[in-house]
Amino acid sequence: MNYDVVIGIEIHCELKTKTKMFSGAPTSFGMKANTCVNEIDLGHPGTMPAVNKQAVRYAIMACTALNMSVDTLVKFDRKNYYYTDLPKGFQITQQFHPIGSEGYLDIETEAGTKRIGIERLHMEEDTAKQFHLDALTLVDYNRAGTPLVEIVSKPDMTSGKEAAAYVSKLRETLFYLGVSDVKMEEGSMRCDVNISLKPAGSPVYGTKVEIKNLNSISNVQKAVDYEIERQSKIYDEGGKIAQETRRFDEATQTTVTMRLKEGSVDYKYFPEPNIFPIQLDPQWVKGIQENLPELPDQRRARYMNEYGLGSYDANVLISNKELSDFYEEVCKVAKDGKIAANWCISELSGALSKRNETLSTMKLTAAHLGALINMILDKEISGKQAKEVFEDVLEGKDPKEVAAAKGMKQVSDTSAILALINQVLDENPQSIEDFKNGKSRAVGFLVGQVMKKSKGQANPAMTNQLLNEELKKR
Amino acid sequence: MTMLEMLKNTENTEARILEAVEKAHEAHEKLNAVVTFIDPAEQIANLDQYKEGAMAGIPIALKDNVNTKGIRTTASSRILDNYVPIYDATIVKKLREAGAVFIAKTSMDELAMGGTNLTAATGPVLNPYDTNCISGGSSGGSAALVAAGVVPMAIGTDTGDSIRKPASFCNIVGFKPTYGRISRYGIIPYSSSLDHVGTFTRTVKDAALSLEVLAGRDDKDMTSSNRPVENYLAMTKGEVAGKKVAVIKNIVDAIDNQETLACLNNVVEGLKAKGAVVDYVEMDQQLLRAVLPTYFLIANCEATANHSNLDGIRFGNRKEADSSEEIMMKTRTEGLGSQARKRFVIGSYGLFAENQERFFRQAQRVRRLICEDVDRVLNEYDVFIAPASAKGATKLNEPAMDQMSDAYLIVENHMALGNFTGYPSITVPMGMTGGMPIGVNLTGRAFEEGELLNIAQAIEDVMNKVGE
Repeated sequence: MNYDVVIGIEIHCELKTKTKMFSGAPTSFGMKANTCVNEIDLGHPGTMPAVNKQAVRYAIMACTALNMSVDTLVKFDRKNYYYTDLPKGFQITQQFHPIGSEGYLDIETEAGTKRIGIERLHMEEDTAKQFHLDALTLVDYNRAGTPLVEIVSKPDMTSGKEAAAYVSKLRETLFYLGVSDVKMEEGSMRCDVNISLKPAGSPVYGTKVEIKNLNSISNVQKAVDYEIERQSKIYDEGGKIAQETRRFDEATQTTVTMRLKEGSVDYKYFPEPNIFPIQLDPQWVKGIQENLPELPDQRRARYMNEYGLGSYDANVLISNKELSDFYEEVCKVAKDGKIAANWCISELSGALSKRNETLSTMKLTAAHLGALINMILDKEISGKQAKEVFEDVLEGKDPKEVAAAKGMKQVSDTSAILALINQVLDENPQSIEDFKNGKSRAVGFLVGQVMKKSKGQANPAMTNQLLNEELKKR
Repeated sequence: MTMLEMLKNTENTEARILEAVEKAHEAHEKLNAVVTFIDPAEQIANLDQYKEGAMAGIPIALKDNVNTKGIRTTASSRILDNYVPIYDATIVKKLREAGAVFIAKTSMDELAMGGTNLTAATGPVLNPYDTNCISGGSSGGSAALVAAGVVPMAIGTDTGDSIRKPASFCNIVGFKPTYGRISRYGIIPYSSSLDHVGTFTRTVKDAALSLEVLAGRDDKDMTSSNRPVENYLAMTKGEVAGKKVAVIKNIVDAIDNQETLACLNNVVEGLKAKGAVVDYVEMDQQLLRAVLPTYFLIANCEATANHSNLDGIRFGNRKEADSSEEIMMKTRTEGLGSQARKRFVIGSYGLFAENQERFFRQAQRVRRLICEDVDRVLNEYDVFIAPASAKGATKLNEPAMDQMSDAYLIVENHMALGNFTGYPSITVPMGMTGGMPIGVNLTGRAFEEGELLNIAQAIEDVMNKVGE
């Protein structure tokens, strides 16, 4: 039987603020347990929340990039439940009035661009981190109170690929905004997928299953694909889907039951009395919205228009913001954006992975790479020579100085090359014979001989052309 | 001595503090008003540092829900029996910088839930005027220490009438300013939208001076106001010529205690004699009857969430068990008294998704209507007044009143109007009934503390004249 697949995604994303959502304690990752906390994060009696303005700014930036409308009256609510990772016994969130609503993201699919609706974006605070050992549970409150935004999509996705494309696009967008580290593996971005199947064309939705805590984009796709298969099979066999929460099991590449959802929990949401509704200054909001950093889509379009890149090259660069930013610096010097892109994508990326380094750990400067590219364009050195020079440029050296030290220059003087060609032709009468008998391989051999005589400095294209002309004269 | 009198005499400050400590121990023997005594030695050593402060060298007491870093703070609950705060409440910093010296943390109803001080973990606080009677609550210990002459000022908190009622029972001035005028940061809460910090003093002027020290914006309390702090003491003149005072008729009508009514009449005639215009004004009777149930729902819905942090995991009197869930349950069951548990159950019930609309949200709407009715009065009058209670402090074992009567619903609960609206409200002594003190309550407009204190001063002047 054919089924319609209905997928919605909830993303929790930690905001990259210096301090916490409602306290002045520093946010942190990887710090010693329970060192980045104050009385507010620990939920001590008498503490009160004070809203982090930077977090609100970041939330507004995210809303704007996701084409959402921003509610300028900011309100918070309490979500009540008892758990050891929740110091106050309630989480401050925005249940009734999310700061952002009704937006979308466009993703690329095989069938073209698809618009995925986004229902809401709200601000809240993170919980503490628990470590369950055999005999005891340890709690690290460093994470408690870290600002989060929760972004809830509409159930607009229909496949693992689309789900992955949505998460990837969202991640890229938030990263370019600079509002979050979006590190899924470290948990600064967390992804829950809701998925249900229904008979093709049916107006009635099937039972929803939630897959929690997917920690990579590829796992999003794998988990969804597996879950579609699992649910289809159960329906095909006349079975029923249990309403449950599942997780993706890395080892078996399947989803497994975490817990059944027996009726929903009553969180007794009510407005947070210690934070009066905050009316944001419309000018302040406007200022934030009009000064967003360049978003990936905008940058992609610019690369294609300004530098003449194809969509593949543009995407490769944009998917790595550090490389893309470096590329822009290279282009400030290099005369040809397309060739600069080639160098960044192949030579540079190759060198980085070979050396197991990142741009920030390398001594290489963008200006040097730009200059190197210009030396090729200006025919000062050959492409082959450039690759040799590049090895030293990676170490932070100036390409001009490297080429000079190595005695490299490209000979593009016609008479000098001609002299070499005639010398080679005189030494290789057999090759001339071969050429006349239609053996074109002979040309290659002769070019090689000329290059050798020039110590690699003859311009290869010119050599090739002049050699052909001379051969015809003989 | 009042605070102002003490400030005039800057010699022998140390002796005065030590005398207060001694008196506190003596009073405690009799009244059971103190949870924790504070050794003032270190503060005495630092007296010089704060000698320019507005309250330099004044011994004071703090209600035990005011967090004091390094000094045990229990809110009179077993669950916080071993709690030593890791931070100071904002008002503690302000008072310290003004030179005040803390000598005691005072008993209160557990977590400020009550009006009798009978639910304190350390037992009832007794009334200095008759130790067979209650001090009133929830700030009973603070009221008793000021009334007993131990300290000239003590901090209290007021969610329904928890400063103003015990002040009436103990013959002192109880004052809570406008919501947001004093920071609540570091005060163990009862109900966030109704809680106020305030003072017990023996005179209105001392209340005015205290407010100058305590008031002001605190970025750690987002509900605190940015309005500049005024020179309240200078505004406390007792000049009421042309001032308009409303006596709430519904409340007076529901009182049958002739002594109380006679006291009120003294106040009214005294104000008139000073040139005030005094009218009897009617409020909506149904709304007045709704004050208590509305209060009870809002306060306890907020409280049940506010106190969900009391789980024994990070602080407090933990009861060990096999799982963290059991630890929380055992800690709360054994650590909380029956009144607190009852109120949490009611609050929780009022917040359930299926109940919230008809209980908590409905209560918030009724609160709004009540506030509008108060505004109707205060649009025409500078303040409204009424007896703080129909009678003096009750006996420790006195049976409860008929809780559906107007004598209870209206007369004994009307002061929550000041919490619903957040408007400044003060209780001033107005005489005796049945041998026990009784106060009159005045409530004014938002952030018009100066005017309220001015009119309260006039009543104090009237009473002083009667006394002569």
